[in-house]
Amino acid sequence: MSNAISMRRVVKTFGKTTALDGLDFEVATGEVHGYLGPNGAGKTVTIRTLLGLLRQDSGEVRLLGGDPWREAVPLHHRLAYVPGDVNLWRNLSGGETIDLLSRFRGGVDTAKRDELIERFELDPTKKSATYSKGNRQKVALIAALASNVELLIFDEPTSGLDPLMETVFQDCVSEVKDRGRTVLLSSHILAEVEKLCDRVTIIRKGRVVQSGTLDELRDRTRTSISVATARPVDGLDTLHGIHSMRTDDARLHLEVEGDNLDAAMVHLAGFGIRSLVSQPPTMEELFLREYGDDLDPQDAAEAKIGGRS
Amino acid sequence: MSTATTRAPSTADPSKEAQPHPLAGSAIMFRFMVRLDRTRAIAWFAGVVGLVVASAVSVIALYHTPEQLANYAELVHGNIAISAILGRGYGLDDPTQGAVVMDEINLFTFIAVALMAIFFLVRHTRAIEEDNRADLLRAAPVGRHTTLAAASTWVFTLVLAIGIGITVGMVAVGLPTAGSVAFGAATVGIGLVFLAVAAVTAQVAASARAATSAAGAVLGASYLLRAVGDMREGWLTWLSPLGWAQGVRAYADERWWMLLPLFASGVLLLAVAFVLSTRRDLGAGSFAQRPGAPQASRWLSSPLALAARLQRGPLIGWTLAIVVTALFMGSLADLADTLAENEAIAEMFALTGASATDGFFATMLLMTGLLVAAFAVSAVLTVSREESGGRADPVLATPISRTRWLGSHVAVASLGSALMLTLAGIGTGLGYAITTGGTGEVPALTSASLVLLPGVLVLIAVAVALIGVAPKWSSLAWLGVGLSTLVGFLGETLQLPQWVRNLSPFEHLPAMPLEEFDAAPFFAVMLVALALMAVGLLALRRRDIDRT
Repeated sequence: MSNAISMRRVVKTFGKTTALDGLDFEVATGEVHGYLGPNGAGKTVTIRTLLGLLRQDSGEVRLLGGDPWREAVPLHHRLAYVPGDVNLWRNLSGGETIDLLSRFRGGVDTAKRDELIERFELDPTKKSATYSKGNRQKVALIAALASNVELLIFDEPTSGLDPLMETVFQDCVSEVKDRGRTVLLSSHILAEVEKLCDRVTIIRKGRVVQSGTLDELRDRTRTSISVATARPVDGLDTLHGIHSMRTDDARLHLEVEGDNLDAAMVHLAGFGIRSLVSQPPTMEELFLREYGDDLDPQDAAEAKIGGRS
Repeated sequence: MSTATTRAPSTADPSKEAQPHPLAGSAIMFRFMVRLDRTRAIAWFAGVVGLVVASAVSVIALYHTPEQLANYAELVHGNIAISAILGRGYGLDDPTQGAVVMDEINLFTFIAVALMAIFFLVRHTRAIEEDNRADLLRAAPVGRHTTLAAASTWVFTLVLAIGIGITVGMVAVGLPTAGSVAFGAATVGIGLVFLAVAAVTAQVAASARAATSAAGAVLGASYLLRAVGDMREGWLTWLSPLGWAQGVRAYADERWWMLLPLFASGVLLLAVAFVLSTRRDLGAGSFAQRPGAPQASRWLSSPLALAARLQRGPLIGWTLAIVVTALFMGSLADLADTLAENEAIAEMFALTGASATDGFFATMLLMTGLLVAAFAVSAVLTVSREESGGRADPVLATPISRTRWLGSHVAVASLGSALMLTLAGIGTGLGYAITTGGTGEVPALTSASLVLLPGVLVLIAVAVALIGVAPKWSSLAWLGVGLSTLVGFLGETLQLPQWVRNLSPFEHLPAMPLEEFDAAPFFAVMLVALALMAVGLLALRRRDIDRT
């Protein structure tokens, strides 16, 4: 399968700040790809580079088989974009804005537009100046979803939507996916990512730290194990990939990296396992690990993440 | 720390606990505004005080013997056109240097300070609501009156500083102290009135731009009321704050009590603004927004249409202002013969040619031309606001090229300017027809006005070039308008060197109908405009689109 998006060793700096630091990133045609990272990781810079609004200092960027900087106009016929911070023309109504952006993109599918306005419960007669953040996002989302394009790029599209509208958005993305379109979805909302995305990429400080399906990511992360054994366990510290070991009462708690799970189990079995509870990493743990500077899982479990789950 | 401890315990009246004092945080807000404005405040202070003092020096140099003073008075006194343009002139029966200086420069000073007060006040009140900064500030423990209180205090401080600067400057160039204090105080009074006017329009209008325009319209109306009143020493003058400020009669047996209506109306308007501010939501005007169309009309389908739509209000407002100005000035032209005999006025209005009326027309068309340029620069700078406001991204993410996007705004500014220049010419001609009864001058004046188009285009092009090359500095395009105004109206008075005058594109264009049309400079200036536009458009294609 060809790639809708491919970025190779992309570097982008603003003065002394390095926003993208050798980013390698790929989105396959037809997939819904989650793009995650802490604030300031470079998600928006990535997207704006893909749109040809920014030019990378070095590295190669390909979008739908073209160069987004040089061929911006022809490529933009084939994509739609919803910015994270939707700012609209204060004097234009929501309906006018949707039509305008759709016409810029080549035309309005009025039936589709009306259906989406209905589903998102948007009042299209209000002036944009009076819309809340969520309503401004709906305007941009409707304009994007109503268009017949190959690639949809969403930058934190649901950050202002209520949970009901979030569900509507998720349904819409599923429909888009069923029609074989490609979606790049930058998001903080883990449940949304978990539900919608075929693959995810996590970036931090302008570099990709993880990329793959959610299952692959889980496999690469630690599993928490709580075990009671007949005899006290020793020698675990000679194994690789064991973390946060502690004992309380008769139970031993530890975290094991995915690749070392087998070795750890074999070792523990030698001490006579009486009971064992194993927990796969939660999404929060998975992301917090990649977001933070080597957060201790203990802290990670306690820390609150911005999104809902 | 201490606030946390004092706030925690329960008190008898919980509602008092929940609401911070209406003025809480004003001092911090004030310092914040000073910090934001350092550079532009210093620039305005130096610009206004510097120009006023420099003009005073040159007027004094021009009139230093009793004969020269008497001569001035004789020419000015009772001259209807001069009274309309500059004010009725006080103390000219037995003129002092101070009285002559006032007659020449005080109205310009008042207008400059009024504009400054409007810009600064709207900037710190209404404008911050448009990008949600106000929500952030309001959410902090600041009172509901804090922003307006801090903003009006800050702008008043600035106005006061300029008033003091002017007083000191006038004393320094040798004018009497009492009159200098009166001039300074009247300047402060005008500043207070118009900061208060802006405080009210900021509450009433639907947007920051509309608030600025509405306050500007009040200033324009004040000028017109005073002009019509002063022509025949009528009472309309006393409806105008500008009339009151001149009525303080600095250096001409000061009428100190005329400061009273200035300061009283300022304070009253400010009180109105505070009351209004409690009765509306952040970001909204006092009037409910009408619902818009659920769908875009058919023509709203291109970047050009969008640019035109965004300029619709300004186009209408500026056109009205320009037509009224043109009609009024045209109606004065018949009196221009008498104007030319006043040396200082003659210099200011360049009435040096064979026909004083034609000279007057040329000067008045330059004035309306500069108003057109102000519209045009503001229209092109919309692009900067679109970019920094995040509204460029959604457009440029569609198949609209950057060139087409910026080009659309340039086209709207240029076509709007051509339309306004045409109407300015027609308006001047019709105004002249009111007093002379013949419309024969209309075609000549219309073409004379349109000859200024390349000059306006150069000022547009400066903005375009800045947007392309140095987007953070794009508002420097206003310097082009300021410099052209300075060269056009004070170039002679201030004895500006020729190379400075050459920086104004209008300096190179034929001053019709005084001068003959000359194709060479017309097309040369046009070429400069096109070249600068090309630079801006090409540079925009090569740079990042900013979002902050």
